[in-house]
Amino acid sequence: MEETLPISAQSAARRWLSAWWPYLLVLAFLVLFPLLAGVTIGDPTVAQEGTGSLGNLMLRAESGAAKFWQGMIIQILIFAIFAMSYDLLLGYSGILSFGHAMFFGTGGYAIAILIGRNFDWPFGLALAAVIVIALVQSLVFGVLSLRVKGVYLAMVTLAFAEMFYILAEAGDFRVYTGADDGLHGFPVPAYLSATDHRTRFYYLTLVFFVAVFLIIKRLVDSPTGKVMVASRENENRATMIGFNTFWYKLTAFVAAGVFAALAGALSALYKVSVTPSMLSLGRTIDALAMTIIGGLGTLVGPVLGATIIQLLGYWLERWFGPSWTLIYGIIFMLIVIFLPYGIVGTLRVRSFRLKEGWKQLQQTLAGK
Amino acid sequence: MTSIWKNNRAALIIVALTVVILGGIIQTMEPKVWVSIMLSGATLASLYFLVASGLSLIFGLMDVLNFAHGVLFVLGAYVGLSTFLNPRLLFNTLPIFFVLIASIMMSQHLGRAFWSRITDTRTRRIATVVLLAAAVGLVLLALRGFPMRALNAFNITAVGGLVTTANAQDPLALMLRRLLLLALGGVPLGLLLSPAERPEEVSLRPVWQTALIAGTSALIGILLLVWRDSGEVWMLALSPDVRFILALIMGTVAGALGGVAIETGLIRPFYGNPVTQLVLTLGLSIAGIDLIEAMWGEEANPPMPTPSLFNESCRSDSIIGWFSEHCQSVDVVGRAFPTYRLFIILVGVLVFIGVGLMLRRTRLGMIIRAGVQDSEMVQALGINVRRVFTMVFALGSALAAMGGVIAAPYLGVFPAMGSIFQLQAFIAVVIGGMGSFIGAAVGTVILGMARAFGDHFVAAGIDLPFLDTVIKGSPAIARASTVLIMAIVLLVKPSGIFGKKE
Amino acid sequence: MTTAPHNILEVRNIQTFIGQFHILDGVSVDVPDGSITVLLGRNGAGKTTTLKSILGLTPPRAGQVVFNGREIQGRPAYRTAAQGIGYVPEHRAIFRDLSVAENLRIAERKPGDLARREEFIFGLFPDLKRLIRLPGGNLSGGQQQMLAVARALVPENELLLIDEPSEGLAPVVIEQMMEAIRRLSAHTTVLLVEQNFIMASRLADRYTIIETGRSIHSGLMADLVHDEATIQRYLGAAA
Repeated sequence: MEETLPISAQSAARRWLSAWWPYLLVLAFLVLFPLLAGVTIGDPTVAQEGTGSLGNLMLRAESGAAKFWQGMIIQILIFAIFAMSYDLLLGYSGILSFGHAMFFGTGGYAIAILIGRNFDWPFGLALAAVIVIALVQSLVFGVLSLRVKGVYLAMVTLAFAEMFYILAEAGDFRVYTGADDGLHGFPVPAYLSATDHRTRFYYLTLVFFVAVFLIIKRLVDSPTGKVMVASRENENRATMIGFNTFWYKLTAFVAAGVFAALAGALSALYKVSVTPSMLSLGRTIDALAMTIIGGLGTLVGPVLGATIIQLLGYWLERWFGPSWTLIYGIIFMLIVIFLPYGIVGTLRVRSFRLKEGWKQLQQTLAGK
Repeated sequence: MTSIWKNNRAALIIVALTVVILGGIIQTMEPKVWVSIMLSGATLASLYFLVASGLSLIFGLMDVLNFAHGVLFVLGAYVGLSTFLNPRLLFNTLPIFFVLIASIMMSQHLGRAFWSRITDTRTRRIATVVLLAAAVGLVLLALRGFPMRALNAFNITAVGGLVTTANAQDPLALMLRRLLLLALGGVPLGLLLSPAERPEEVSLRPVWQTALIAGTSALIGILLLVWRDSGEVWMLALSPDVRFILALIMGTVAGALGGVAIETGLIRPFYGNPVTQLVLTLGLSIAGIDLIEAMWGEEANPPMPTPSLFNESCRSDSIIGWFSEHCQSVDVVGRAFPTYRLFIILVGVLVFIGVGLMLRRTRLGMIIRAGVQDSEMVQALGINVRRVFTMVFALGSALAAMGGVIAAPYLGVFPAMGSIFQLQAFIAVVIGGMGSFIGAAVGTVILGMARAFGDHFVAAGIDLPFLDTVIKGSPAIARASTVLIMAIVLLVKPSGIFGKKE
Repeated sequence: MTTAPHNILEVRNIQTFIGQFHILDGVSVDVPDGSITVLLGRNGAGKTTTLKSILGLTPPRAGQVVFNGREIQGRPAYRTAAQGIGYVPEHRAIFRDLSVAENLRIAERKPGDLARREEFIFGLFPDLKRLIRLPGGNLSGGQQQMLAVARALVPENELLLIDEPSEGLAPVVIEQMMEAIRRLSAHTTVLLVEQNFIMASRLADRYTIIETGRSIHSGLMADLVHDEATIQRYLGAAA
């Protein structure tokens, strides 16, 4: 007994490692990125006397291209959170929402307004309030929208989101929302300022990202997640087996809403500005595009999609100037037409075929 | 009679309730106030209806929610505006479309021979990509440096200042070279769209017929180009009324063609995959507006001038007086109301009656109504449903584009006008019930009235008995509150007032 | 009835997929001209899919469908139907919002079809004449089934595919329906799907048994009714 235990523990660890190593590799890269960037593309002239080598490295990470690319990754991670939350809806639960930006924007506005001059709440309290607001908001609109299905739900959620967009733009609440200008320069706590402490903000976002990733992964692997997928595949059957699919969909809707609000709040803190466009259909389309391009119903897909779209947007804007959105739209449509399963999905189909082919080859070689 | 009551009980109750609420509101007002508010509401309802009816028909028949419907509305408005004010743009751009279409039509005949030679899927895929690249490359090459901005810089559209026609357009030789390149670019496009890829769908016409149609199309294109200068002078000399009718026709036709293009390119290959269709039209709703901005500029244009029938600066005492005086406004129970808006209402009513009669009385209408319930069964009766799909898509798109044209003198022309109307049309259709033509009409009327009364009350202030302050707000509040109506209807009857499908 | 020398329809070893599901894995059916042929088999065996594959609503991936000597597999359903195949789907898919008259008129392939066949149709189903103005959705189940059959009779069809005409009907109505099918079969060939073995055995000349997507047995109905073993084995309690 005592001899076999360590072996099984060892093999368990190995199994765990073999399942998780790609994730760990990416995570290691993300954790080390500020340091690596500091060494390679940071500005060497910022080094100061008497701060030690690690201190100097941190200074270099806060400068030049290193700082810029950390910002890029921060935005990618924020959008990855947003896209993962969207995939929880569309990919795992089959809920086609065109109003997901409503949570993203509300999260951003909530944190901006609560720590702003009207309320001046402490940061921690404001962040807690954002989660509570998102909970209530997604509960209310989830209950309303989930009464319908399919494209109806798409239209209805779109209409709800548009309502928030119109209200954010309206002049009536200028004191709070800043109308069509949005809010800029609200007092983000100094220790979180992304301009002064880029690396710190980077790690904060990374922690949030990893936490959301693990929570969603846990959720979709749990029995609850299985029912979500089951009701996506065949709602009638899931109902017949005895599951009240409404509650499972609502769970997905609320979880997605809260994570999207979190992404919105992070985005607001990073940019120190919120604009009505955070609530617009365009944001939802971003999430949709990231999810679809990466691959529906996978968690890696949206992350990959967020990376691609963020970088693509950056380069397209540099190459084509203001008309880049046109190119973006066309590329988006082409990807939907030619890669219907997204990148991860297509790769999986491929590797599945490869595996099948490999099996067949082995069988032929074995003379069967 | 009893069956009508039984089948539409919820619908009748909601309509009656709306009437009662309206009646209650009206009680507190002077007639001249509520009549003009209701006319404003009807104007909006008419425009909403032109967008919503097509949306609803298209969804009902083919289960496609066309997110690009608003783009067609904007397209109609811009094409109408250009026809009305800036014909040189048409004379320089229409040939491009005529020649491209001619080339695509002809090369579809090559398609069968081309694709039948390539049998394995891998080569097919490579060929597709190569053709696509060739098509995009040739078209881009053909259109490189096309003086869109200069052509647009005309009279009241102050984009880039006023540029005279002689300076704005490309020399004829250059334009012909462009057309030649486009004709070449149409060949790979035609191969890509060729029926041989999906042989079960389309039956080709005989070659001579295609050649005749394509030849005529190309000839019209070239003639338009050759006669562009005299054509422009001739068009601008026409009376504004005639030009308005031309604008209406051009805008509507542009919408119909746009609809056909969307249906054949983005919808038809993906029947049975609704999410892809939805996402594609969604992508188009963004890219299409970008394209329109690239062509006509991002700036908002001032309203298109109203046709002279509605443009004399006077106020008629009654509609009968307007027939001889052509005044801007007409007296309606003691208040002036713009006659052009009455025209908008009239168009909405005429379209409602016209399309309604088409649905009730013609064989096509019968097929559409049957297809809304079960398009597979219609197919099994020996009817080519796909062709009906395309026709209905064209019809719905044409209606939306027509709405864009008649909205242009009322609202002005700007890229975002489509998304506003599309959203309201969505709400109207959800309220009325997807797929129901009557539902679209009722939904838009409810929405139009709600908007008009909402705007009135929000601007005048609502004095609630339990609050000290009077609630006032901007029109945005009224616009947002229409969503509440939708939420209420959804809670009561998720499929909408006249909706049967879930 | 004498069996005609040639088969109006021959289904040869068709394979049909719906999505990823392999529904039909080798179904062959011969339908002699002028006969009533019935497809027998348990629920989910693939009988309905066979009809839909013949028509092209679920096009087969492999195999042939030969109608009047011509291969028609892979053509769009509307063209196959227009060649002279009428379809009466299960669950009586009539158009609920269209009136009875419209339900009939929509099936016309050329103007005047209905006028030509009116007498015959109303002779078979006298009830429909009385209901002609009502919306299809207001009809009773039996009346709807009659309308669905009548609709397939409006154009000159050489072959009718009728899917479960007795499903969910009262015994009296089933008798009526059987009588109607027997009478119309004097004019057209019929390929029937029927779970009700008694009805099937009294109507049909020939049968084909389909089991899990394969046609495994076919022959003359007159032989099958005496073959208790086959009935028990493939049709179970249905007999």
